[in-house]
Amino acid sequence: MPTAAALRLEIEHALERRFPAALTPAPRAIDEVATTGIAAVDELLHGGLPVGAISELTGAASSGRTSLALQFVAQRTAEERACAWVDVSDAFDPESAAANGVRLKQLLWMRCREEAGKTAGRWRAKPQWTRLDQGLRATDLLLQAGGFAAIVLDLGDTAPEQASRIPLATWFRYRQAAERTQCSLVVVGTRGYAQSAAAVVLECVARNAEPADGTVLRGFEFAVRRERERQAPIEITTRKPPAATWQTHAAWDTDAGRLA
Amino acid sequence: MNGKLFVCAWAAEFPSQALLRLRTDWQTEPVVVLDGRAPEEWVCSLNRLAERKGAAVGMTRLEAESMQGLRLLKRSAENEAAARAVMLECTAKFSPRIEEVGGGAGSETACAFVLDIAGTERLFGPPAQLAERLREELATAGFRAAVAVSANFDTVRMKAASIRGIAVIAEGTEAEALVKLPITALNLDEEYAATFALWGIGTLGELAALPEAELVARMGPKARVWRALARGEAEHTFEPIETAFALEEFCEFETPVEQIDSLLFVGARMIDCLATRAAGRALALRSLTAEMGLEGAVTHGCAIRPAVPTIDRKFLLKLLQLEIGTHPPQAAVVRLALRAEAGAQSKVQLGLFAPQTPEPSRLDVTLVRLRAMVGEARVGSPVLEDTHRADGFRMEGFAADGGSEAEMEATPRMALRRVRPARAVRVTMRATKPAVFRDQENLYEIAAAYGPWRTSGCWWALKSCDGAWDCEEWDVLAVRAEKYSSGAKAHNNFASDTARDPPTGWAPRSCPFKTPDSFAGFDCSGGALVACLLTRDRARNAWRLEAFYD
Repeated sequence: MPTAAALRLEIEHALERRFPAALTPAPRAIDEVATTGIAAVDELLHGGLPVGAISELTGAASSGRTSLALQFVAQRTAEERACAWVDVSDAFDPESAAANGVRLKQLLWMRCREEAGKTAGRWRAKPQWTRLDQGLRATDLLLQAGGFAAIVLDLGDTAPEQASRIPLATWFRYRQAAERTQCSLVVVGTRGYAQSAAAVVLECVARNAEPADGTVLRGFEFAVRRERERQAPIEITTRKPPAATWQTHAAWDTDAGRLA
Repeated sequence: MNGKLFVCAWAAEFPSQALLRLRTDWQTEPVVVLDGRAPEEWVCSLNRLAERKGAAVGMTRLEAESMQGLRLLKRSAENEAAARAVMLECTAKFSPRIEEVGGGAGSETACAFVLDIAGTERLFGPPAQLAERLREELATAGFRAAVAVSANFDTVRMKAASIRGIAVIAEGTEAEALVKLPITALNLDEEYAATFALWGIGTLGELAALPEAELVARMGPKARVWRALARGEAEHTFEPIETAFALEEFCEFETPVEQIDSLLFVGARMIDCLATRAAGRALALRSLTAEMGLEGAVTHGCAIRPAVPTIDRKFLLKLLQLEIGTHPPQAAVVRLALRAEAGAQSKVQLGLFAPQTPEPSRLDVTLVRLRAMVGEARVGSPVLEDTHRADGFRMEGFAADGGSEAEMEATPRMALRRVRPARAVRVTMRATKPAVFRDQENLYEIAAAYGPWRTSGCWWALKSCDGAWDCEEWDVLAVRAEKYSSGAKAHNNFASDTARDPPTGWAPRSCPFKTPDSFAGFDCSGGALVACLLTRDRARNAWRLEAFYD
């Protein structure tokens, strides 16, 4: 009776032309990740957000997705890497970014604007773009240019019915470009748009508001739930998607900084 | 052997050469250049194709127009000045000692330079090789020049003016080289020229054969100089010119240009010349300024400044194209001038462990594209201003190597999402605290309000428009209610503990909170709860929704 090893060898030999090493598991490549700067979220993501892939931070307003994105960008700029923030709704707050530790000099901020009137004159008229179109085109250009460690496409205030119309081909193009340039593309939105092109989808939820003496707002507690992670090891026993909680504090709250 | 050696580069028909140099599409056509004021214009210069067609210098415009297929151009002094500078730049690559000899009597339409090349054999090889390289260099810049080499200054000048190729005259054979040249090469006055014609002296060889004493006795002391010139023995004190290095190109169009592609067709050639000239001095172009003369005596300018000095022609052309596309001229262009600033060629040494940064040239193009899309002031790096005013920042240009910045602690802090411009809202107060606010679309039931934080500044300004502000800020937690369509019922469980009942037609988005004054363990997981920043302008008593916490 032939042993299992001999059988396997025989099958692999028979299928060699069609499937090289059919029954031998392919060696798993080590996927690079970059820390988000929040220990609980890093633990949830097995190290951080993937490099060279699309990550989506979804959630409603005040769910902590912007804070999470800023923390991630802060970590990347701290490594003296260039980052970009494509601001579709012109909602980025530089003061908050600086408070979160983002090095603003290494951040390219692109603020989309409302459609302007057509250029007069006999010279070629400029094409008119909506805010969303501007953001998508800018992301495309930045990804193609290369050299950015992280690009945040902020669709946080874009209506889901608009953002859902972004063709899947666009997201796949982004994924390929991000992979080629080793750039982490972080999409902030109300819900996930990139579908299967996204490597990680995190759902952000607000948990608690922390007042101090009932007179000032001191911070928030957020929860992050992992909806999808392409590179994560398969966990059959997990019934609910894994989640983590984390806090943000007011910029004046120095005690929180020490504790962190 | 006297150790002297000169080379002369002679560009005949310079007005036509200067005009055709940048217009490669016209170089295959017969072209004449007209000088003078209309209607008394006359042909002052022409190319070889026009010469073959029968055109000649001195023809009137009417005569020129009567010839089929002849392109008539107007002489441009600015164009010639720019072309002369380019030619001088080309010759300066071979010797720093240059004297200009063209443009004098009898050679008004020529541009010529004599170079002192004594001692350059080890650099450029024998004189014949140098002459060949000089001619090639000039051809690259768009000039057709005759080149002559000799140990005598005036010999090379006269010989170069009379040939179309290259002539290398060995030392001691100057007289033989000049023997067939017409006596007009000496630029004699009419009176003396007539005398020589009467004597039957038509060439320099015949003049050189005359006995010196008898010639001087009849024609005066000047005759000694002419005879020496004819024999290639005249002495000359070299007067080198100081070459100021200026990277400028100019082109005037015959017809106004309305298309960017047509403009850049010429612009590309001009950039090419500028880059070549800069590279010849081991320099690169740090900035490029385009000045366009428009119809109606208006000028339009734009400038590009790459992150690092470069001589990449395609890259510079792309930047210029995008810049003109972003800031297009408001009328057709009649002339184009490019001025460049030279800078040291940059060499970036990348480190093995250095983090990746965008490639400067690609980043430049990307930034220009982004600016063209959203506007100049909407792309860059934000810089916080030293003020307590809300949203106080300015934009600066983004550089990949942003430089070192003060180390910031990366502790998660409350982040805002700004509403730009701030949205005017109507607020209902309850016990000195906001209870409900609404904008044009939504109504927000405030569960908790923290504040006010009062802030003011620039109150010393004379006018309120000078930037004075006096506000109070409120951090509020609110539940958003959506406007429902007529006929639909509002939810019954709308918050009943608010200051007043919500207006009809509004329904909460999800279950409202029941204990708005207790926030320990307050559950916001419904998703409809938002944390906002409201401000009240105390001077105008106007409320605005400034931002959302996120």
